[in-house]
Amino acid sequence: MPKIAIPTALRQYAGGQESVEVKGSTISEALASLTAQHPELKKHLFDAQGKLRNFVNVYINDEDIRYGQQDNTPIKESDEISIIPSIAGGLPIGDALKNAALPELNKDEVARYSRHLIMPEVGMEGQRKLKAASILLIGAGGLGSPLGLYLAAAGVGRLGLVDFDVVDHSNLQRQIIHGTKDVGRPKLQSAKDRLADINPHVQLDGYETALKAENALDIIKDYDIVIDGTDNFQTRYLANDASVLLGKPNVYGSIFRFDGQASVFYPKAGGPCYRCLYPEPPPPGLVPSCAEGGVLGILPGIIGVIQATEAIKLIIGEGDPLIGRLLLFDALKMKFRELKLRRNPECPLCGEAPTITKLIDYDQFCGITPQPEQAADTSDWEITSVQLKEKLDRGEPVTIIDVREPHEWQICNLENFGSKLIPLGQFPAHMNELNSADEIVVHCKMGGRSAKAYEMLKQAGFKKIKNLKGGITAWADQVDHTMPKY
Amino acid sequence: MSIKLTSEHIEQIKQHGERAYPEECGGLLLGAMEDGGRVIREVLPLENVRKDSRHNRVELSPLDYARAEREASKRGLGVWGYYHSHPNHPAVPSGFDLDHAPFIEWSYLIVSVREGKAEELRAWTVREDRSQFDEEEMTQIATE
Repeated sequence: MPKIAIPTALRQYAGGQESVEVKGSTISEALASLTAQHPELKKHLFDAQGKLRNFVNVYINDEDIRYGQQDNTPIKESDEISIIPSIAGGLPIGDALKNAALPELNKDEVARYSRHLIMPEVGMEGQRKLKAASILLIGAGGLGSPLGLYLAAAGVGRLGLVDFDVVDHSNLQRQIIHGTKDVGRPKLQSAKDRLADINPHVQLDGYETALKAENALDIIKDYDIVIDGTDNFQTRYLANDASVLLGKPNVYGSIFRFDGQASVFYPKAGGPCYRCLYPEPPPPGLVPSCAEGGVLGILPGIIGVIQATEAIKLIIGEGDPLIGRLLLFDALKMKFRELKLRRNPECPLCGEAPTITKLIDYDQFCGITPQPEQAADTSDWEITSVQLKEKLDRGEPVTIIDVREPHEWQICNLENFGSKLIPLGQFPAHMNELNSADEIVVHCKMGGRSAKAYEMLKQAGFKKIKNLKGGITAWADQVDHTMPKY
Repeated sequence: MSIKLTSEHIEQIKQHGERAYPEECGGLLLGAMEDGGRVIREVLPLENVRKDSRHNRVELSPLDYARAEREASKRGLGVWGYYHSHPNHPAVPSGFDLDHAPFIEWSYLIVSVREGKAEELRAWTVREDRSQFDEEEMTQIATE
């Protein structure tokens, strides 16, 4: 009978034998016969799908079956079959990034990076790795600002920036890559000017587009590291999925009010991905964005700089990366905490039997549905700020209800037009104070929260209600240019 | 788990790392399980069969492995681990190392070679779920 030689490490699962006699006329039959005799061997040789693990090679005498007929390779009575592990090793990702020779530094660069060069952990080699490396920043906003500034200054050879937004006054409190003179300019242009000034040695590539399922793989594939500086769940899942599918590390950060978190998602290096941490997005509207909930301007600075640090560590291959760890920061308590993150073997993306093998529709996944019927039929439930102003000018009685928070009311309000403040959270309790015979207009900052108030009123039987389209922001844009916007 | 080896073994691994520098090198560890720990009896330096990226990748020949198993068996030993070098990098396993670690039953030794000089040597094992490496206790024993 043919014999299969068992590697030392696996003999404990084969009754301690160096080789096992098997039945069968092909390799797959022989392996089936082996695992039938020694079931414990199965999980060491085969993965969850029943395929030979990637480090398991099967040889007949001195021939690899991969060069024969694979599993169907016939075997003879006298054949010696061996299970042989692939044995390979290598340096951390920094070196895996570029196999080609690292670029040289010129005299200017040596002078510029001297504080790096004199540290043994970076040195000439580390600095040349930085020069060889490429990083894609998704978003040139709050997190993208410190990321871009420090990564350019540190000498990362190529930075890609994805952003399609325009600089607004409300960005300047935290997006320090942009200045007052840049308001109204595309963020991409403004960021590129600033970065080129900081370090002309860095190659800057801009993508003035939203990252979408259609373009994500194409944009990301040329970069060594992806850094997620986005503020919405669709893009966050998209960046995660595309990075995992392409085997790239994804340096994650997120911020809200006084809290931030950061991690490095890198399943290829054994760590978890964003989906291992959050398999499903929250229902739309449950988690407020920074535009709705606010954010301490300094917070993206702290979290972005942590992300930049992690990216540089990955490139130079020093220290302990945040892979498998979620760093939580609380600015009010001024405390960092750390949670261990485990890879989820059931993860649909990076688990043992992945079901997500290509990019999906992220708007749908995150429950974001387009609102065509509402937009088409504005007159029915919405009123524009210009229409409201005309009504008020005609002296028509309108009850204006502001459902924002008191601190927002303090910034700007429609008190001159008799507006009353009922924050959304207290709305159900105070709804009965309203008269359903009156014509009522509800508003918030942008129109989202007041749409909820509108629904509540409608459910309660109110008929003469309208939602102010675009909220008080639209009022400031279209009616009262002296009103401060936030 | 723990691994025991002699100062000669350590020296052999370090010298191999220095000879191969700036390229990576690797080899196998022959020994036996005794009292629940791996005891190394012989270090077997092998050829790096990678043709490309030799400064950051090492790969051993499957046929060399098969020969090592046969050789070990003749002496009542087994193949219980593998070592490789990290030129100009710490003796800490990389993601690549984790992806390519064949057995959870093995010891993985890494020697850091900086500017041609072998420095620290550390031993690691892979967790049963293959999620990460843990450092393994390494004890130096007297030469027989």
